[in-house]
Amino acid sequence: MHAAMSRQALRMLAVLVLLGAAAFPIYWMLVTSLTPTEALFADRPQLLPSLGQLPVYASVFAIKPVASWLFNSACVAIGTTVLSIALAVFPAYALSRFRFGGKGAIGFGLFATQMLPEAMLVVPLYAIFAQMQLLNTLSGLILANTAFTVPVITWILKGAIDGVPIEVEEAARVDGCSRIGIVLGVVVPLIAPTLAAAAVISFFHGWNEYVFAQTLITEERLHTASVGLAGFIGELSTPLDAVMAVGVMYTLPAVIFYLIVQRHVVSGMTAGSVKG
Amino acid sequence: MASIKLQDITKNFADKHVVKGVSIDVPDGEFLVLLGPSGCGKSTLLRMLAGLESISGGEIHINERRVDELPPTERDIAFVFQSYALYPHMTVRRNIAFPLIMRQHRWWFHIPLLGGMAKRRIERSPAVSQLVERTARTLALTDWLDKFPRTLSGGQRQRVALGRAMVREPQVFLMDEPLSNLDAKLRTTMRAEISKLHQRVGGTFVYVTHDQVEAMTMGTRIALLKDGVVQQFGSPREIYEAPANLYVARFIGTPPMNLLQATVNADGSALALGAEATMPLPAHLRGLAAPGAAVVLGLRPNALTVARGGQGLAGRIALVEHVGAESLVAVALTDARTLHDEEGAANADLMVTVPGYTDLANGDPVAVGFDATQAVLFDAATGRNLAAAPRTH
Repeated sequence: MHAAMSRQALRMLAVLVLLGAAAFPIYWMLVTSLTPTEALFADRPQLLPSLGQLPVYASVFAIKPVASWLFNSACVAIGTTVLSIALAVFPAYALSRFRFGGKGAIGFGLFATQMLPEAMLVVPLYAIFAQMQLLNTLSGLILANTAFTVPVITWILKGAIDGVPIEVEEAARVDGCSRIGIVLGVVVPLIAPTLAAAAVISFFHGWNEYVFAQTLITEERLHTASVGLAGFIGELSTPLDAVMAVGVMYTLPAVIFYLIVQRHVVSGMTAGSVKG
Repeated sequence: MASIKLQDITKNFADKHVVKGVSIDVPDGEFLVLLGPSGCGKSTLLRMLAGLESISGGEIHINERRVDELPPTERDIAFVFQSYALYPHMTVRRNIAFPLIMRQHRWWFHIPLLGGMAKRRIERSPAVSQLVERTARTLALTDWLDKFPRTLSGGQRQRVALGRAMVREPQVFLMDEPLSNLDAKLRTTMRAEISKLHQRVGGTFVYVTHDQVEAMTMGTRIALLKDGVVQQFGSPREIYEAPANLYVARFIGTPPMNLLQATVNADGSALALGAEATMPLPAHLRGLAAPGAAVVLGLRPNALTVARGGQGLAGRIALVEHVGAESLVAVALTDARTLHDEEGAANADLMVTVPGYTDLANGDPVAVGFDATQAVLFDAATGRNLAAAPRTH
């Protein structure tokens, strides 16, 4: 009884430490955004936010097109998520269920794309996008991000589809489902938790991406938040409170998105552990 | 009305021959059981009949129509899987209605929301909902219609799978070991349910099992397979009383048929079973084997009697098992020799069933008598039944 309780206490302590490590940077960002610039460089750091500084959140919208940055980022992230999943489901199904020549090579090829760093592809991609007139378009940026997320997601979804009992698909075939009907009506609902995980991966990729957003977009009105935020850093001065205020607003949608889908992600991680 | 005709069906996986030239004719309304040990090709045969597996050779006709090139849904069949294969993300109601919804399926049903609304509309239409509810009532599932399969017990899930098959009103029901995941008691209940279902809905049933009790109780026709070849095709009674060969004799019956090594005597009137033990050949077995031929005598355990003293084969009690309504008595013969079994264990005990309880005890010297009219004679070399009657395909 005693041992069980102390083990429980230790576990709680470990969770608290981890939680602190994860939450502190966000808290610090919030505090910094609400601290007057002169107090930031004081000898004793301020641990609590000064609510009097709240207007900084409104003022950043006046100095920089923050709203449009966030909107652009949202477009890119959502576009990347939708396109990636739409493009990955069918190849994942094919890799899982069909037998065809070159299947191994295709699977390896998908993996191999992950070995190339983004930075290495920026120049060739720039040349291609220039030719296709995709520079300075959000759809071009979505395409570039999707190219990186589709292989990963395909592999993740393939793993999930492997776990769908083949009998359920056969039952659907007997019941009159077409192949596409089976994928969309039976397989996709059954791998929903994994789809949620895939959505998290592609959403965050699109939301956080910087290198392509910086190179493929030059027009300021199309800048995403990641690029816009970096633009705050000036040669002479960097308004730290404003940077942090935008940082908070940049982090918030991603956190909210994760909170919405995390329930499904967790159920996806535990799926299959219990015989159902 | 659906007859099934399998003509010289073969199936090869790479260079492995799983089904080797199976030909079976099933008249309309029959309950055919494909019986055999695991790996004998019975499930593959059923899956080929359903169209879930392609055939390597031969032809399949359902109701005089060649179907082996058609997709499963165009064969007018329903398939019940061993694992039930319910759709886990759909309620019981939707699971049962699913085949009916698929009948009215349009391409735009794939569009999210719009498709969902259309499917719900079909599910709620009077024709579909009444049929689903009637089926659920028949299977005692009414209270579970809005539950998900994961909340159901094994027996209930199997009934949902049956319901999904029933609503389609197919010409042929195909079932692949549907009861093997259930416990023994539930299996007995469901066995009766499926037999009743066959009587009620009619149609032709093809049922795969490795359980001979299921085969004998449910089937009107049994095809016993081994290594992709039909060993015997006939009614349960034919298979029980006149097994086509030693394999069938050993497979059917619990305990299986007793097999004794014997030699036909010089004038063909009797069998020599041991140094002294002989048995006059009953009329129905005379002339089947040449004088001096080595044969195997087959006798069901219930055709034997065991007594302390008296006429018969001498032996000692090796084991007595009381089952309740009857007792199984194993007798080690002292003179005659039984045939070694499949695994090669020589001189197995002779099994005798005795009604009720018996006071025989281990080691008692006994004499085993038999009802010679029930005896079957096999060729010792080929293992085939020497009587001409049994049909093999």
